[in-house]
Amino acid sequence: MGAAQRRVAGPSLARRLEANPFTWLVPVAVMLGVFYLYPILDVFRLGLTNASLVSSDERYTIVTLQAMFENPALLDILKTTAVFTIASVVGQQVFGLAIALLVMRGERRKLKGMVALRTLVLVAWVIPGIANGLIWQMLFSEAPFGAINSVLRMMHVSPVAWLSDPNIAMLSAVISNVWRGTAFSMIVFYAALKAIDPTLYEAASVDGAGHLQKLRFITLPQLRAAILVNSILVTIQTLNTFDAIISLTGGGPGRATEVLSLFTFNTVFRNYDLAGGSVLSVLMLVISLVLALFYASFMPRREVSE
Amino acid sequence: MRLRLVTALLASAAAFVAVSAHADNLVTKDRVGPADAPKSFTLRLTNDGPTSTDPVWAEGYQKLFSEFIQRHPGWRIDLERMSDNIGQEQARMLEQAKSGNGPDCAAVDSFVLALFKGANVLKPLDEYFTKEEVADLFPFIREGITGPDGKIYAWWWNTDLRVLYRNKEIVPDAPKDWAELKAAALASKEKGSEGVLFNGGRWEGTTFDWLANFWAQGGKLVDDKGKPIFAEGENREKFLKAVNYFKDLVDSGAAPKRVATIVNYDEFNAAAAAGTAALFIGGNWQYGQLKNTLEPEEFAKWTFSEIPGPTADQRSTGTGGWTFGAFSNDPEKVAMCAAVIKEIYAGPGNALQQQLPTAAALYGKYDVFKTEANETFAKALVNGQARPGVPIYPEISNQIQIMMGDVLSGTKTPEAALDAANTAVQAAFARL
Repeated sequence: MGAAQRRVAGPSLARRLEANPFTWLVPVAVMLGVFYLYPILDVFRLGLTNASLVSSDERYTIVTLQAMFENPALLDILKTTAVFTIASVVGQQVFGLAIALLVMRGERRKLKGMVALRTLVLVAWVIPGIANGLIWQMLFSEAPFGAINSVLRMMHVSPVAWLSDPNIAMLSAVISNVWRGTAFSMIVFYAALKAIDPTLYEAASVDGAGHLQKLRFITLPQLRAAILVNSILVTIQTLNTFDAIISLTGGGPGRATEVLSLFTFNTVFRNYDLAGGSVLSVLMLVISLVLALFYASFMPRREVSE
Repeated sequence: MRLRLVTALLASAAAFVAVSAHADNLVTKDRVGPADAPKSFTLRLTNDGPTSTDPVWAEGYQKLFSEFIQRHPGWRIDLERMSDNIGQEQARMLEQAKSGNGPDCAAVDSFVLALFKGANVLKPLDEYFTKEEVADLFPFIREGITGPDGKIYAWWWNTDLRVLYRNKEIVPDAPKDWAELKAAALASKEKGSEGVLFNGGRWEGTTFDWLANFWAQGGKLVDDKGKPIFAEGENREKFLKAVNYFKDLVDSGAAPKRVATIVNYDEFNAAAAAGTAALFIGGNWQYGQLKNTLEPEEFAKWTFSEIPGPTADQRSTGTGGWTFGAFSNDPEKVAMCAAVIKEIYAGPGNALQQQLPTAAALYGKYDVFKTEANETFAKALVNGQARPGVPIYPEISNQIQIMMGDVLSGTKTPEAALDAANTAVQAAFARL
């Protein structure tokens, strides 16, 4: 009797919820609204003011907007951001895929140490950005006792101006970011590789395909969705990177490694320009959205069932 | 030396645990006083406190705070620690204070005190300090803490200055002017050192240390109304002369290119400990740090002198230091903040850290300030100059840091870098 009632009551509630999804969407909508939408809207609002940390006289104006886009430094900052982002995204994807393939191959051959290898790569990922910057700052130190340069000297190779040369400083920043972010790409690709049907490789082997042919004609096409999703995530993550750079180079020398996120941070926390920082935050949001839409346009479409 | 540093850090941790246990848990990492005390207030500190990374300072402050809280039963101090990113920490605190969420009492860097005063977030401290105590402060200190209404809004408890450190074995005589410093640095390279080291990366220290060379010529960053004028008329010439001086040090090899990456005074201590430094421009507080870090026979090789000017009689040095301000609306908490300043920092704290007091009377009160080194530092304060207490200063500093990086790395000429800095500063000033 009771069981029968429960069976009757259960589907009825589910049907009611199904008929009126707003009931269970409301808590999610409220959470998203309070913690995501409101700050975004407030940043838009602040961008249209002259708000500053040193003044309480806040009024609506487009002067800040105009000043930010006329800032002669902005173009250089955007170029620096593009170089840093593209190099980091490509580097993280290539190394992440290489390590994932290595781990898969090792597991197939039942080699020992694959779990240790995965853990080792993940260690870099869990290190906070600030700590990552400090670690690499010590490694790249150009002092006579700097880690990497000391090794180079021992090998009778001239020391490298890792952080004081504007061009090499960008490379150093990319290396440190790729080192930290590779683990994330490795996890995404490892999961995607696990999902590939092994019979595809067996069939390819029967047809006499080599390793490179299998990579080109099976692995990469099968990973297309994973590569695109990973590209979106890594790009947005890299665009927001500032903690690792601030502790590694501080954006210097000069503005050689000052990316958009760091410029935004400096505008708010060094110039005390809340409105200017908001304009730059909106710019970052727009760039992230445009890139996400661009990547999404390459996503495989679900075929319409006949 | 590295082993010594590691040992010192371990000793610091051990000392912290030992003193905490001895004080019956009165001083922990985030609290002073009993956890269940009926009254409490928040105190935000820098490295100058019970959790200092310097083991001697940490142990000393644990004792001072322990004694303090025993004199004030019923109170608990909730400690908050700032990171080393001072600019960010101070900006964040200003925003928190403006929205009413700031700490009850906090360390405010003297160079941003004007911003805090301007934002009207500080509570007056006049009733806790006598007129004689205020009158005993150095004039630039008194001016710095006084608001437009004549009330004092903070207590500037320590000051500092920059000097030229040198290893006497490598550089026997103190360089008196720019040319002598360059020659001494080049000569020191032949003895295996790096030449002269100074801050040149993206941080406040780069601007402040370099400004001594601009100020020594009589250069002015802002006019009496706070408008930036460093790129106008005679100031422009003096500015470029000081920039070209640093550029020449790097181009000639008298300073290594890596100065463009130095963003911490600790780098100089590390270089001294590693035996690779012969000359560096550092803060007076580093004398004590060198003493704690180096073996006695190594420390004995080190001395200091005033920062050389363009000529021997043109001298200047930057004076900074820390203040304490009260943000609380509760008069009892403001009173406790003043008590912390008077009983722990202004006097005992100076003596503990050997950081120069801001009041003349304190120099005679503590034996540590009667040493030859500290007397020399105190005399050098005559040529001291504080950063202008104007809202545009942080942006001027930011642009000088960018300019220094561009010039030292060869990206821009000094003229182009100065023009770019001035354009950015004037645009920011127009928006203030």
